[in-house]
Amino acid sequence: MPPQTMSAKTDATIGVNGTAKSTSNQAPPPMALPANLKSDLLNKLSLKSFKLKTKQQELLLRVSILFLVYVLAFITRLFSVLRYESMIHEFDPYFNYRTTLFLTEKGFYEFWNWFDYESWYPLGRIVGGTLYPGLMVTAALIYWGLRFLRFAVHIREVCVLTAPFFASNTTLVAYFFGKEIWDSSAGLVAAALIAICPGYISRSVAGSYDNEGVAIFALLLTFYLFVKAVNTGSLTWSLASAFGYFYMVSAWGGYVFIINLIPLYVLVLLITGRYSVRLYIAYNCMYVLGMLLAMQIRFVGFQHVQSGEHMAAMGVFFLMQVFYFLDWVKYLLSDKRLFETFLRITVTTTVGLAAVALGVGTASGYISPWTGRFYSLLDPTYAKDHIPIIASVSEHQPTAWSSFMFDFHILLFLFPAGLYFCFKRLTDATIFIVMYGLTSMYFAGVMVRLILVATPAVCLISAIAVSATVKNLAQLLRTKSKVTQGGSSKAASGSKASSKALLDQSQPFQRNGAIALLLGVFYLLSKYATHCTWVTSEAYSSPSIVLAARGAHGNKVIFDDYREAYFWLQQNTPTDAKVMSWWDYGYQITAMANRTVIVDNNTWNNTHIATVGRAMSSYEDEAYEIMRELDVGYVLVVFGGVTGYSSDDINKFLWMVRIGGGVFPVIKEPDYLVNGEYRVDKGAAPKMLNCLMYKLCYYRFGELMTEYGKPPGFDRARGVEIGNKDIKLEHLEEAFTTSNWIVRIYKVKPPNNRW
Amino acid sequence: MAPKSSDSQSHILNQSDPTTNGSIDPIFHLVRILPYSVLRAPRLRLKLPSLSLPSPMTVFSLVLLTYFMVVSGIVYDVIVEPPGIGSTQEPVTGTVRPIVFMSGRVNGQYIIEGLSSGFMFVLGGIGIVLLDLALDKNRAKSVKVSYASAGVSSIVFSYVMSMLFIRIKIPAYLR
Repeated sequence: MPPQTMSAKTDATIGVNGTAKSTSNQAPPPMALPANLKSDLLNKLSLKSFKLKTKQQELLLRVSILFLVYVLAFITRLFSVLRYESMIHEFDPYFNYRTTLFLTEKGFYEFWNWFDYESWYPLGRIVGGTLYPGLMVTAALIYWGLRFLRFAVHIREVCVLTAPFFASNTTLVAYFFGKEIWDSSAGLVAAALIAICPGYISRSVAGSYDNEGVAIFALLLTFYLFVKAVNTGSLTWSLASAFGYFYMVSAWGGYVFIINLIPLYVLVLLITGRYSVRLYIAYNCMYVLGMLLAMQIRFVGFQHVQSGEHMAAMGVFFLMQVFYFLDWVKYLLSDKRLFETFLRITVTTTVGLAAVALGVGTASGYISPWTGRFYSLLDPTYAKDHIPIIASVSEHQPTAWSSFMFDFHILLFLFPAGLYFCFKRLTDATIFIVMYGLTSMYFAGVMVRLILVATPAVCLISAIAVSATVKNLAQLLRTKSKVTQGGSSKAASGSKASSKALLDQSQPFQRNGAIALLLGVFYLLSKYATHCTWVTSEAYSSPSIVLAARGAHGNKVIFDDYREAYFWLQQNTPTDAKVMSWWDYGYQITAMANRTVIVDNNTWNNTHIATVGRAMSSYEDEAYEIMRELDVGYVLVVFGGVTGYSSDDINKFLWMVRIGGGVFPVIKEPDYLVNGEYRVDKGAAPKMLNCLMYKLCYYRFGELMTEYGKPPGFDRARGVEIGNKDIKLEHLEEAFTTSNWIVRIYKVKPPNNRW
Repeated sequence: MAPKSSDSQSHILNQSDPTTNGSIDPIFHLVRILPYSVLRAPRLRLKLPSLSLPSPMTVFSLVLLTYFMVVSGIVYDVIVEPPGIGSTQEPVTGTVRPIVFMSGRVNGQYIIEGLSSGFMFVLGGIGIVLLDLALDKNRAKSVKVSYASAGVSSIVFSYVMSMLFIRIKIPAYLR
């Protein structure tokens, strides 16, 4: 770097081209000096002085790519904020928002010990002990941090933008993870793929303030730290992975995946003969410290030592101790046969003791069996037969091929190719990513919602395929005469001269072919980007609380009925009024209308939900009895017959019947069906035509003209004319119907005065 | 001390058996005394099957098969039990026409449509693998060329077919 300036100085004294002109006559120096100065300036200003070494160029390139990917991951999730407004979406995020609001207003100790009497009336809910606090604490910390820096943000803005922020952070973790598994170019591709992958975007869009937004970041971070710990054997990385696991446990119930995948991974390493002290250190530290930290979350409690789902981790922990012990004994003993006998005895004793301990624990009931939620992942048919409430959630349905295609696009091709490359170069890290990919893909096949957990693995493995293929093709481009020297000796044809000529002919063909294939790869990746942006814009950016449709002239029509109804509830009902609705809307009612609800999305008490289901599916008199018992003041139903909205309560009605009938045998599903078919028109079952839900949804609907050319009372969501148009309500009266008839609120009349 | 006594004992009982010398297995000694001091152990020519780890590529092919099944939606097929292929009846003539792709929802399929799409995905993956095999230096040139052309044609074919399938299934795709 200095040579330029030094030579400029020496030039000034000696003269250009080294001729000693310092003591010459006056004329040349004045003309030579400005020229010297000019060239000196030009040299300084030209880019040659900024010439970076290759390593620095590479670093600049990597940093700028990562920065662009970070920004991309954030802005691609902002569609709904730009189209509608900055609001919370869906159902569950409203509960999270309400708890975060409580946390920022009242402080951490009030939050931790909160008993909520406004939901699940009259039971109440112990909120402090039944939620995962990671998301709320994270958002509150960001909020307090911004406030400390004197940014006057509202907590709602922080909540809305938490998920995109953590999605950007996930891309960084994906880069480091890819670097750990393969190399830094694979890491860059992985970061870029995961930034726009629709499988991840679906649950982390701006406004989707849900546990998964933070949990996927925590999941990938924990896995990265653990793989780093296994690769290096360092205590620091192992402790860091334990803290990463603690963050994951505090964020989401899916931490069970981590605590089962990591022991499975350790087991596979032991079976393939890759036991090492690094693995021992990493797993021991992570398990012991992680378990102790996880017990700090009240919702998890002592499950790590008591629940059947966590026993695999404990079993592998003891197995590792046995391995270490055997290794030490092998080191001490010099006799091989003696050691083999000792090995046989130890293994038999260990297996026997473990079986006895497991048997005693399970039989005495100390170790609880697998809960229904996780058991239905191993045996998918279980939920359908035994637990209708789990089977009814639309996100819990098994996955069809089109959902995979929608959420992954070309990653579905790259995944098996990436697996091939991983199997070609087996290391501790690639074995981990293969196992993560396979287990998560199986679970994604069982439940649509779990495509989210599979996304990081699929992106990483696909990135390996892309990186390896592009490297191969680029190497083809770069090979010049060296290949001809080596290749001619292996040529199958006759003389060396002719073979060399053949290879010389094929050289440009090879180069052209490689260029064409590289262009093909870039074309596929650009189609992936187009697909992801289209899917994000069309499918995953709807707030669900605000509905949009295309009007008659192609203009966008917005239905804001939900918020209209909740606002009406907040303004026009007494503050201690209790609202009965189906559990889907519970969180929204408590958060926006600020009224007590009977059941909400937490679904922790099946009998209470079944009571509500029974009320909805009974005749009005029986339902009135139940509503008086529960002290219900208002009933809220969602009806899509006027707008054609298909996720309304009439379409969900059969689930109410099934869940109610599961607890109260007086409700029988065949009573509401005609020949196994669910109908609402003239041919419907009489019980269906007179139950409370039917009456509340279709009250006064028989007089309404919904579509041109159809009779009045034509239900646009079901596509039929309703059967019972003349509905009279005895114990309820209509309180409010929104402008598009989507939400209807009824007031429960007090009982008649006795004479 | 213990080995010596067992050594002398074994010398008395079974002189031609070298494995009893110095054995530290207590159950072995127990069993040797209790039934087998009276009974004579038969001479068997049994060989325990030796378990060896399969090669990575064997495991990879099994994994590919499992991937094909999962991505075809086999769990959906088992639980929801859709028909193999859908059918609709012509209103005028009354003939029954088959429908291959279940339309209307993203998360629904018939069995055959799932299997054919899964096959396309696996074919694309195999195409990329063939492309990598084609760039391996230790093969004959003709084999490399055939691998490369097979790989490229597989990828192109499977991508085109997958796009076609998704366009048939979701008519509003990319519009």
